[in-house]
Amino acid sequence: MSRPFPYTYISCPCANTPAPDPFRKRKSRESPQKASPEKPRLEPQLDDDEDEQTFDPRAPRSNFSLYPPEQLLYCEDCHQIKCPRCITEEIVCWYCPNCLFETPSSMVRSEGNRCARNCFNCPACTAPLSVTTAENRGGEQSDPWVLSCGYCMWTTLDIGIMFDKPTNIRTQLSKLTTEPATPPSRTRQISKTFGDLKSPLSMYSSIDEQIPPAGEGRPGNEDAAEHPQNTSIPRTYDARFAALKNFYKDQIASTTASGVDPGDFGAPFSSPNTLHRIMSIYTATRITALYGTGSKKARNKPPVMREALSASEGLSIPKADSETALIQRMASDDCGWDGLASLEQRTFQSPDARFVEDLLPLPSLLRTKRSKRCKTCKHILVKPEFKPSSTRYRIRLIALSYVPLTTLRPLILPPNTSAPLPSLSSSAAPNLDALPPQKPVQLLLTLKNHMFDPVRITLATSSVTPGRVASKVTILCPQFDIGANSDVWDEALQSATAPDRSSRTSPYEKVAEAGKVWDRGRNWTTVVLEVVPGSLPGFKAPTTTEDESDDEDNDDNIRAGLDWSGQSKDPGQQVQPDEDVLEIPVLVRMEWDSDSQTESEQGISSGGRGLGGDAGSMKRELAYWMALGVGRIVSA
Amino acid sequence: MPPKAAKGEYIETDTGNKISRRSQIHGTQHIILGGKSIIQADAVIRGDLFRSSSSTSNPDSKSDPKPASSGNSIAITIGRYSYISRSAILRPPSRLHRGVHSYFPLKIGDHVFVGERSVVEAASVGNHVHIGKDAVIGSMAILKEFAYVLDGAVVPAGMVVPSWCVVGGVPARIVGEVGEGYGVEGAEGGMARERYRSVR
Repeated sequence: MSRPFPYTYISCPCANTPAPDPFRKRKSRESPQKASPEKPRLEPQLDDDEDEQTFDPRAPRSNFSLYPPEQLLYCEDCHQIKCPRCITEEIVCWYCPNCLFETPSSMVRSEGNRCARNCFNCPACTAPLSVTTAENRGGEQSDPWVLSCGYCMWTTLDIGIMFDKPTNIRTQLSKLTTEPATPPSRTRQISKTFGDLKSPLSMYSSIDEQIPPAGEGRPGNEDAAEHPQNTSIPRTYDARFAALKNFYKDQIASTTASGVDPGDFGAPFSSPNTLHRIMSIYTATRITALYGTGSKKARNKPPVMREALSASEGLSIPKADSETALIQRMASDDCGWDGLASLEQRTFQSPDARFVEDLLPLPSLLRTKRSKRCKTCKHILVKPEFKPSSTRYRIRLIALSYVPLTTLRPLILPPNTSAPLPSLSSSAAPNLDALPPQKPVQLLLTLKNHMFDPVRITLATSSVTPGRVASKVTILCPQFDIGANSDVWDEALQSATAPDRSSRTSPYEKVAEAGKVWDRGRNWTTVVLEVVPGSLPGFKAPTTTEDESDDEDNDDNIRAGLDWSGQSKDPGQQVQPDEDVLEIPVLVRMEWDSDSQTESEQGISSGGRGLGGDAGSMKRELAYWMALGVGRIVSA
Repeated sequence: MPPKAAKGEYIETDTGNKISRRSQIHGTQHIILGGKSIIQADAVIRGDLFRSSSSTSNPDSKSDPKPASSGNSIAITIGRYSYISRSAILRPPSRLHRGVHSYFPLKIGDHVFVGERSVVEAASVGNHVHIGKDAVIGSMAILKEFAYVLDGAVVPAGMVVPSWCVVGGVPARIVGEVGEGYGVEGAEGGMARERYRSVR
């Protein structure tokens, strides 16, 4: 989501002061060549004082630290802005995005993270499928049912699947696809004909309903049923996997002596059986060292496990000509390009799926609600309600309720105030997507305080933006106060008495003055920002003064080693991608007395505050860089 | 509010809705505006497509002018501070129900933004939903609160977009989530009052 101009991004300081996470160490050890490019960038930072360094929103590193303000959190214990990289997440609940039902995590573990109800996505286009009747006869809704895509008109009829009931489609479908895989020990009770009918192409979903109703002859189905291949041989990929899983479960159960916990693939190391085996590795060697090799054979004899031998156990030996058969099918006229499944379609299907007829409906993937913790101090920053449909939060420490909300908009002077600064701003709003170079623009920068304490703000920016396109920036009033986010009633009462609040009409008579705030309200203050967009490389405006070209040279020197595009043959002439975007780095430093901080956490239920000691007033400060996206400079 | 020029761009209703004179609104008696909502020029709102209450047997009941007395005849509900951009189309969703093609009400919540040239046929659009420009919301889709539809997305018919999810693409699928601070007054997703003030 790229934002329209003007926008504000806030830089999380974690890019410069890496949080102590174990990940980093390992990464640098694994890939030394990845870590090496950081070296030359770190050197100049150490050379001059790091506080003095201007944040460059275009530096490659800034890509990872700039966030839109609403994505940032604030840790009250670290007193720091936290970006998505400085937090850890914990899953609160799993839910299906389609039916919005919660799935218990135990079920997610056993069944996988897909909806177990009727929610499916189209295998052809990923749109959600809906359950409809196959034949629409005059309004009566009866069997058979199909899943159909309202977007691309794909239905399960295309792959020859129909359902008896409009509910529990998932189980019906998995029966259709995996049921033939039931191992012979279990299928023994079921008669052969039942097994025959349960081919994936069979139209009957469950064992109870294989007998076709009278008068509904389905010749195609009988063909499939009489196919000799079908007897209890798992044909689909899922079925083979289930068969193999069952087979190995049996194998483990029969070969392990104690038989404890035979098939727990999920936790192989925690089972007492494996633990015993692991321990015996150590003890056995010691015993062997002591008593010689006498007991070794008896102890360490590995249990004999055989591999799957028959097709019913999940073994599948491709026929010698299966590949050529596939190729012939692809080459045949009735397949064609449209009959082949695309790569995107195949990524979500079984590896065997090559053709459109092989595509099975995809049960929708579940989504999660997550709570978020600070990575350094482990305090909870965000905790949503458990219910999937709820949008409330139990805890929500977002940066927006701490750092001032910054908005930027062009200052529009009405045409009648022509006298003071005719060149400064045109009467109409400047088109931020096409800022003319070397033409001054005035912008209103509003900072709105959401804390319950008044805040003193100091804004700092370099007079010239970093990068080759050097735009001059002047904040006319870099230091100011913002009132507390007090009761709205206060404002209402104040504005009734104080006439100076009625500033709705006054801007039309006002002129931006250095050292004075433009406008202020209960908890917000507006200052004027004057920007002279720089000229793009390859374009020299006649107004370019001598000292400015000096600046540009300096910036070129700084940027010499910083060619991030890798495609600049002639860097003097070419404009790099997005180099024409006018982004102003501004350092915001805020100071406040945090005496009433507990009140500022409105809507936070937990009283778990780490600041028990400082009950009285306490000076706090927070400084961060933000990047103001003003607009795009045009070349001419 | 100071008295306005008689021929402004917008008609302001008693509840503060600002409706462009150049918008096309059909079946006004079947449309409920919650107040302080903005309907821009060339927006099309089809309040005339409402579910005819009693006669499911009569397929021509749409044309038969029923009085708006029955509660069923509300076609479109729009909440407060919602913003319908230029050339957007709001059309109640329809479905073949028991063999009859019938319309269902379209409910739009508060603080909803509908971008330019978007077509909305959703069954319900929750509060604080952002629909980008040139997007298409298919029939009977449900956009939960704080859903974000990217520009040019085509949300298929019947899709449910959960809260806080960003959908995009053709057909739309969930591509991400908005941040926790989304929808805070004045920030991204909470600009509805600001937008309302800027329209005059």
